[in-house]
Amino acid sequence: MKVLTPTVLTYLKVVILVAVVPAVVGFVIVLAERRLMGFMQARLGPNRVGPKGLLQGVADLLKLVTKEDITPARAEKAVHFLAPVLAVVPALTALAVIPFGPAVRIGRIRTPLWVADINVGLLFLLAITSIGVYGIILGGWASNNKYSLIGGLRSAAQLVSYEVPMGLALVSVLIMTRSLSMVEIVLRQERLGLWFVFPGLLAFFLYFVSGVAETNRNPFDLPEAESELVSGFNTEYSGVKFAFFFLGEYAAMIVISCVAVTVFFGGWLPPFPNVPALDFLGVVPPFGWFLIKTGFFIFCYIWFRSTFPRYRFDQLMALGWKWMIPLALANIVIVALAVLLTPGRSDGMFVLSYIFGGLFVLMFLLAKLRRKLARRERLAAVPASAPEAT
Amino acid sequence: MALKKWLDKLTLLDLFDGLSVTGRHLFTKKVTIQYPEQKKLPSDRFRGMFRLDEERCIKCTLCAIECPINIIYIDWHNEKTPEGKSAKVLDRFDVDLKRCMFCQLCEEACPTNPKSIWLTTKTYEMAAYDRNDSLYLDIRKLTDWRAAPNVKPFTVVEQG
Amino acid sequence: MSDDRPLSEADKALATQTAEELRAAALAAAESLPVDVHPPTLFDVQEMELNFGPQHPSTHGVLRLVIRVDGERILHTLPDVGYLHRGTEKLFETETYPMGIPHTDRLDYVAAATNNHAYCLTIEKLLAVEIPRRAQLIRVILDELQRLSSHLVWLGTSGIDLGAVTPFWYAFREREQILDFFEEYCGARLTLNCMRIGGLPFDITAGWVERLMEFVDDLPSRIDDYEQLLTDNRIWKKRTVGIGVISGEECIEWGVTGPVLRASGVEWDLRRAQPYECYDELDFAIPTRVNGDTYDRYIVRVQEMRQSVRILRQCLERLPLPPGEFRGKVPRVIKPVAEEVYASIESPKGELGFYCVSNGTNRPYRMHVRPPSFINLQALPRLAKGHLVSDLVALIGTIDIVLGEVDR
Repeated sequence: MKVLTPTVLTYLKVVILVAVVPAVVGFVIVLAERRLMGFMQARLGPNRVGPKGLLQGVADLLKLVTKEDITPARAEKAVHFLAPVLAVVPALTALAVIPFGPAVRIGRIRTPLWVADINVGLLFLLAITSIGVYGIILGGWASNNKYSLIGGLRSAAQLVSYEVPMGLALVSVLIMTRSLSMVEIVLRQERLGLWFVFPGLLAFFLYFVSGVAETNRNPFDLPEAESELVSGFNTEYSGVKFAFFFLGEYAAMIVISCVAVTVFFGGWLPPFPNVPALDFLGVVPPFGWFLIKTGFFIFCYIWFRSTFPRYRFDQLMALGWKWMIPLALANIVIVALAVLLTPGRSDGMFVLSYIFGGLFVLMFLLAKLRRKLARRERLAAVPASAPEAT
Repeated sequence: MALKKWLDKLTLLDLFDGLSVTGRHLFTKKVTIQYPEQKKLPSDRFRGMFRLDEERCIKCTLCAIECPINIIYIDWHNEKTPEGKSAKVLDRFDVDLKRCMFCQLCEEACPTNPKSIWLTTKTYEMAAYDRNDSLYLDIRKLTDWRAAPNVKPFTVVEQG
Repeated sequence: MSDDRPLSEADKALATQTAEELRAAALAAAESLPVDVHPPTLFDVQEMELNFGPQHPSTHGVLRLVIRVDGERILHTLPDVGYLHRGTEKLFETETYPMGIPHTDRLDYVAAATNNHAYCLTIEKLLAVEIPRRAQLIRVILDELQRLSSHLVWLGTSGIDLGAVTPFWYAFREREQILDFFEEYCGARLTLNCMRIGGLPFDITAGWVERLMEFVDDLPSRIDDYEQLLTDNRIWKKRTVGIGVISGEECIEWGVTGPVLRASGVEWDLRRAQPYECYDELDFAIPTRVNGDTYDRYIVRVQEMRQSVRILRQCLERLPLPPGEFRGKVPRVIKPVAEEVYASIESPKGELGFYCVSNGTNRPYRMHVRPPSFINLQALPRLAKGHLVSDLVALIGTIDIVLGEVDR
């Protein structure tokens, strides 16, 4: 079909992304979060709207859209209008460089499952997510509310601080792939037969924790928590504008998960492709594997939210600057050593993955011991004191 | 426990422990009761809506005296029965449900056996759109709940 | 009431001056005050007064705090209470003694049985009534169940204030079962009215003891769950260790009682120090910690839950089979002699006492409540000084106040 040139296909993919992702966010992730959090709290989540609550996203969307749109008096109208947009657009734009799958064939059309494969994909991602900070700062400032302003500035400081360890963690992956292109990263993992999470285990933890901090999620959600004095930058937003902020946060969650999957977990690759016994895993298309892995990370976001208390703001910043950045730098040195000591071969990376893997397994073997020690400590915290009489 | 302290410092095991608790609860039995399709059965002593038995009532007004909030209003007058004796006749027995705290002191004070006023009716669905009329119960609404359209009986418990 | 004391000379002079003269004198005095030579510059400290209003998700009720802050640091906190004042103490004076029991439910509405118990103990002390042993055991059972319930509420809300949303649901799942036990016993879940002067209103129902025993056997593993989520969690520790430190001596000076006192090193528990009911024959420990910070108060309360389980088990084992005497001999109309008496118990929040002045009639002349939450709340400015505003939420949770008791 002469009409469907690659350019037209690209535009089509953009349209699909911009249409599908917010829909997925609204209808799937919102419901999944509430239901899963409910399940983890020994209760059922919302299950009234539609069968098993599947239409809850529709109800939420309708509610937000039909709410009155309030702009505070003496607020900068233009900026107040623009801030939510600035929060959403970078997150959706970042999806353009993420490879969802290899080339597919639909009828007579062959097209890869990504919008653009630029050779600076990773850099583009880091740059675009940094623009998302503007949405928050301007949102807080444009509300004409000093508490929103403080909340917005705190949020922005948190985001900016945690971009550094995120970038540094990705640098260590860069050392292993020698390329910034996202597609090239996945292909290199395919060629090596090794997902980068193994030699980059520390990098993955740093990246994911920074990612959670980047999206203002628990345990780093102090700027937007309701029980704090400052209710955050989105206090004065209602209706569609609030929906946009909401969407922006969840879209950023998706982006972080997708990047984690692409860079560390092999993108669209099935696990263990070299083992012939597991060939039945090929039944799931590559795009399916991508979805499964991304879904798992979004589940991790929800899991963290329902388990951990939140850090206080100064503790959060101290964690980022005093712990994560030095760890990230140390990680770069370790990975660089592993790669440079075996030039031209990948043995260094394999050795590193065995070392990290061993430490990780050791940690879990010690878990049982630790639990026993913890239990003993808790029960012995109070000595039994019997009364003197009787 | 120095070993545990070191373990906690070096590893993230305390966080994983917490994650395992919530992860485990994903698969436990959920305790939600889906009201109104499923309802919990109130116990036998549950203090709910009032019932009054006008025949048993001896108009001693002890319940009105004992009520801590004075929401029971009783009026009676003497009348001559056909046998020539004088008997009390109830004019008014109102309970102001808006302010009742369901403490059961009125039921405890009632000297008749079985009680003439009782709360153990297992009925708690008494919501109404209009406060002043629906939540002020006179003798008719107390003895026959059909006259009090906002009272949805759970099970009508007749005290024997 | 007129003041019949003679006027002093200064007052006499004041009474003769006219309004204009007084105003001129005041202005002259103001002019003579030293003027601030340096107006505040950019580098001077400017304090800000914030209102942590009565409507706030974390103030555990309608508590208003006026906070003076320097940036994020709290300099001074002023609790402004009274938003839930209902005139309970005056209400006691207008009603007879037994009619007051439902009102005590509403003081510390999270722990109603202990309120009833304290009130009844006061009147029983006034009347010198002997409570039968069966009633004593059941009262202790109800008290300890209520202590568990109150501490579960505290655990849940404390968690939510600091961001841990799940312990709330787990705690309330257990609390739901406790409330079911209460409902089966006395007919209500929250405002119990479960004790009468001289003992109890009814005996326990069939099967209550067995089911309670099952529940009590289940509970330690649930408490283990809460502890696994919070006690060793590094984020929880970071938010609670070293926050709101108060020493034992200061606690005693301020009159703070309850878990706050015990977490600061003072091993004082009325159940051991001034035993009432049958606590002197029960075997339980008093959890005490030394640091006096929020983390210690958390540990003390969780350990108290475990000790409550221990007490419950012992009482349930000692409870003889029904039927039995569950109410002492109390006259029909309660008219104590004209006397003043004070009786107190260890409620989950601290020492809850009732001070009763009777004048020989069937209504008290004065019934004063010693509310542990009110007195513990007075220590909040001391606890909050120097901490950040984000910690204030943790501190309000850790002293475990219930506004019904603070305001009465």
